[in-house]
Amino acid sequence: MTSTAAVGISAEGAAGALVASVQDLSIHFKTKAGMVHAVDGVSFDIRDGETLGLVGETGCGKSVTARSFMRLVASPPGVYAGGKIDFWSSEARAAGGGPVNLLTIADDEMLEIRGNRIAMIFQDPGKALNPALSIGNQLAEVFLQHRSEELLESFGPNPPVIIRRAANQESGKVERVLLKLPPLRSKAAKVRGEVEDRVAAALAETQIPNPRKVMDRYPHELSGGMKQRVLIAQALACNPDLLIADEPTTALDVTIQAKILKLIRELQQRHHTSVLYISHDLSLVREISDRVAVMYAGRIAEIGSTDDVFRQPLHPYTRSLMAAVPSSRNKRGELAAIEGNVPELIDPQPSCRFHTRCPYAAEVCGEVDPRFLRHDFEHGVACHIYDEPAELGIGPDKLPSYERRTR
Amino acid sequence: MTSVQAEWLERDRSVGDRPVMTLLGVEKYFPIKDGVLQKVVGHVKAVDGVSLEVRRGETLGLVGESGCGKTTLGRCISGITSPTGGGIYFRLSDVDRAALEDILAVPEGDRTSEQRKRMEQIESRHLVTALTGDAWRAYRRNCQVVFQDAFSSLNPRQLVKDIVGRPLRIHKEASGAELTERVVSLLESVGMGRQHLFRYPHQFSGGQRQRISIARALALDPEFIVLDEPTSALDVSVQAQILNLLHELQRDRGLTYLFISHDLGVVRLMSDRIAVMYLGEVVEQGTATELFERPRHPYTDALLAANPDLDADVDKEIEGLEGTVPDPANPPEGCRFHTRCPVATPICGWEVDDAVSWLSVETDLLESMTGVERRSNFDATLAFADDDSAEAVGKAISGGSMPPAMSPALESMSVEASKVLLKFRPVAPVELEMVEPGHVTSCVLHTSRRREL
Amino acid sequence: MADVAQPRTVIPPATGALSVRLRRTGEVTVQTLRNPVTVIGLVIIVLMFAMALLAPVITTPNEPNPYQMPRDWTALNEPPGTAGHPLGTTAHGGDVLYGVIWGSRTSLRLSIIVVAVTVTIGIVVGSLAGFIGGKVDEILMRVVDVFLAIPELIFALAIAAVLGPSFTNIILALAIVYWVKYARIIRGQIIHVKQNEYVDSARVIGDTKFRIYLKDVLPNSITPVMVQATMDMGAIVLVGATLSFIGLSEAGLAEWGVLVSEGQVGISTGRWWASTFPGLMIFLWALAFNLVGDGLRDVLDPRTESR
Repeated sequence: MTSTAAVGISAEGAAGALVASVQDLSIHFKTKAGMVHAVDGVSFDIRDGETLGLVGETGCGKSVTARSFMRLVASPPGVYAGGKIDFWSSEARAAGGGPVNLLTIADDEMLEIRGNRIAMIFQDPGKALNPALSIGNQLAEVFLQHRSEELLESFGPNPPVIIRRAANQESGKVERVLLKLPPLRSKAAKVRGEVEDRVAAALAETQIPNPRKVMDRYPHELSGGMKQRVLIAQALACNPDLLIADEPTTALDVTIQAKILKLIRELQQRHHTSVLYISHDLSLVREISDRVAVMYAGRIAEIGSTDDVFRQPLHPYTRSLMAAVPSSRNKRGELAAIEGNVPELIDPQPSCRFHTRCPYAAEVCGEVDPRFLRHDFEHGVACHIYDEPAELGIGPDKLPSYERRTR
Repeated sequence: MTSVQAEWLERDRSVGDRPVMTLLGVEKYFPIKDGVLQKVVGHVKAVDGVSLEVRRGETLGLVGESGCGKTTLGRCISGITSPTGGGIYFRLSDVDRAALEDILAVPEGDRTSEQRKRMEQIESRHLVTALTGDAWRAYRRNCQVVFQDAFSSLNPRQLVKDIVGRPLRIHKEASGAELTERVVSLLESVGMGRQHLFRYPHQFSGGQRQRISIARALALDPEFIVLDEPTSALDVSVQAQILNLLHELQRDRGLTYLFISHDLGVVRLMSDRIAVMYLGEVVEQGTATELFERPRHPYTDALLAANPDLDADVDKEIEGLEGTVPDPANPPEGCRFHTRCPVATPICGWEVDDAVSWLSVETDLLESMTGVERRSNFDATLAFADDDSAEAVGKAISGGSMPPAMSPALESMSVEASKVLLKFRPVAPVELEMVEPGHVTSCVLHTSRRREL
Repeated sequence: MADVAQPRTVIPPATGALSVRLRRTGEVTVQTLRNPVTVIGLVIIVLMFAMALLAPVITTPNEPNPYQMPRDWTALNEPPGTAGHPLGTTAHGGDVLYGVIWGSRTSLRLSIIVVAVTVTIGIVVGSLAGFIGGKVDEILMRVVDVFLAIPELIFALAIAAVLGPSFTNIILALAIVYWVKYARIIRGQIIHVKQNEYVDSARVIGDTKFRIYLKDVLPNSITPVMVQATMDMGAIVLVGATLSFIGLSEAGLAEWGVLVSEGQVGISTGRWWASTFPGLMIFLWALAFNLVGDGLRDVLDPRTESR
């Protein structure tokens, strides 16, 4: 297992406060064939208010990395194999406190954070909504779970115990019956009304027309784009510090996708949320991210600002990937395809994972894990070309210059 | 159809510029059933009047978003389903096509017996749904398909050898050792090898499975292949390999492709000509370069604007589309895109549904609407619970807050007690018109109809 | 977890289709045997089958009909452990051990015949309904609904009343009632499998509907039927025993249910062995097939199949 600690990039306080810092994260999976090193020493930071794009092809480990933030990786077969994910909530930062390690905090602390400080939206909006609950009821969950105190504000400093328990969704059977009777019924209705107001406001923020009507609808009555807006509303309901978006627009048409991306951008700016955006689509990531991290076979290959990475890709994998995307420049039949396949990640040897497919590979590439180095200011790469050019006989200046013509 | 003629059909592949597939007014409607007795209450018009042709040796790209009908059209062309209206013709010569169109222009009852005979003759030899015997076999062998999901397009219980060799076995082209050899050569032509013969699909990666699919499609040495999103489920690096392979095969074997995809970048690269579909119709068609550099339809514009492009300026932002796609069971009579079009005009075909849609989104005046009495898509009466509501709606409509493209199209509006009578100017369906050689569009902003504005 | 690079299984060089198919069957078998519970069930089944097949060898068959319990008036109600009767005798002097052994033969006959018949009818009807669809499907499914409404017990009683109580009639009654289950199972599977594109592919290649059914649809729909058939081998005997117990079978038959029925009279007076041993056998038989069926289902489940 290599140490690819981002030297010099994740220094706390550099270029703005941090919301999260992944350090040397490793997640392995136990399979019959051996231990699959799905995520193997991944490090990157997410800064306050920025969108970090995590891009890579199938099997690179980006989804597993994202799910680790909220401990959603099934274990077994998932095995935590090292590293940590530090997280600074806005309260912690305001109070000058330190981070918590999302991988080790207690379960009830994690419950506090999930949906509240960190939220996640997934690829298939159809599967993320409970078909048996109306939209209003689903979104109400978020508020009842995390904002029950605010809901009780109108009752003054001492709300009746039974109402408090109702707001916290802790009512027993008897209490539920009592809540239906006149003296308590109006109070319960008041809480309910508060919840509905907030749900309507959350939906309205995502530009859903007629939020009150939509609240009464069921998921199957909505289009894919609408469902995704509902999920975004749910995710941002409690003003999280970090939004993790795992390929949220892959299942949507391109015209709807554009609208959803703009929406995420707007809401992000309004609420000052940081976003970790995961995608396999390079061009999409370029549109939406401030900084980009390219993942390959469980490791970070390159990381830097979107401008830098796309204009001057350093890692041979990044270059190959960009060359493989069809463009108006390509002639038919001459797309730069990367030969070979992604290697199996079972108990791998120390080596650069890309070396079997890399056009510049040398002996050292098959024997030593490449270190992650800062090449330029903020632009980091894990490749021997930049580390030991002498060994390879080729230095970064000798690499064919890469320029994708812009229109 | 004699076997001599069938032979002629087979060998005729190298002759002339005859189109491989001709579509005339193809429609595919799916019935909507409702109620206890499952009565048919309407139809989803997945494909609603598509005419185009695929010429030998070219790649025609078919592009559009979900619900536009491109996949259904692909399935009709490859014979998996039959169209409910119009015709799909295989190897229809220009002469025959002209004759056919003339005959079709005459209402059925008025056709002479000569015309009927001629039509029957043409249909028995070319109409895909009417082919039998050798003619049908010729079509079947020359029209193959590659699907998107290579996992569900390969029988998980069959070995690769059986999957790729099956077409040969069915058509009795080879057996035994010869079959195996031919399968091996097919596998080699798609970049795989003998060692893959005796394996099951689940033992391969997505890209390899797609190669197996392609090998199977090539088994009978077809003339024409329908590629239905062949690389949409693959990673970018694998996609590049497969696209290169497809091009190589086309070049080496003189193949004709129908390339269906939602990915503009891929379609642009792989196609010679492209047809853009929206809600069951072709809205624009032209060469790949023409379409991308000088689009002549707002929907094509919208697709291009929404498409994240690696080559575009980093500051250029992608734009989406507002509005909702109309109900495919009751599409607009005029231009189908007008409900979302950023540059819609008054002659685009505004209907009562648009007014209702606008009222329900921008106001809450429709809360008390009790019913809509439709005389046509353009002419209806909205009934409300009370006179005040009707009056409020009337005020909103005449008040000037209606979208500027919609209000000139409103012929008349009157409020009577608790009812509002709306009448829009009826509009003829939009037609595809050639605006430049080889470039057709149906948008009134670009066709001769712009004179009406 | 589609993100994780799936390890591709290492395939030794293949030599031919047959060897590959055999290897695949071997792999499935090995995987089934990995589950210890399944192995236990399998062992019990093997023992029972052995007992059934070797019955004429391990015991002296009764004359004239070996399936009738022998009656030894000299040894009535002997407890287990008496000479010559390790498990005791019944109220009619029949050897309980004989009944247990020959009962397994009877049970084997019952379950094999009923399962074979019901699976065949079920597959045929279900395939027609699922594959052809439309009106055929509707009509056949209404027929299935009618049959499903028949309570097997009452039906068996009716048959017994009309045709007289006999073991063959129990087989008949069960066969008539049980096929609908398979029809439904395979119809559902076929409808699901039909949506796969490899079925469309086969049509585009030009294959006939029947061959598409045989090569593409049936093999991919059959696994739940196989699992259910395995479990039914056990369940049928249970039901058969129940029917025998209430007297729909022939008296004196060497069949577990009959034995339990005839022996229950003695339980109040402390003569437990005539009912208990046959009852134990019913339990073991049903249990064994359930265990194997479960193990089979775990292995044949499509989700694990795709790896």
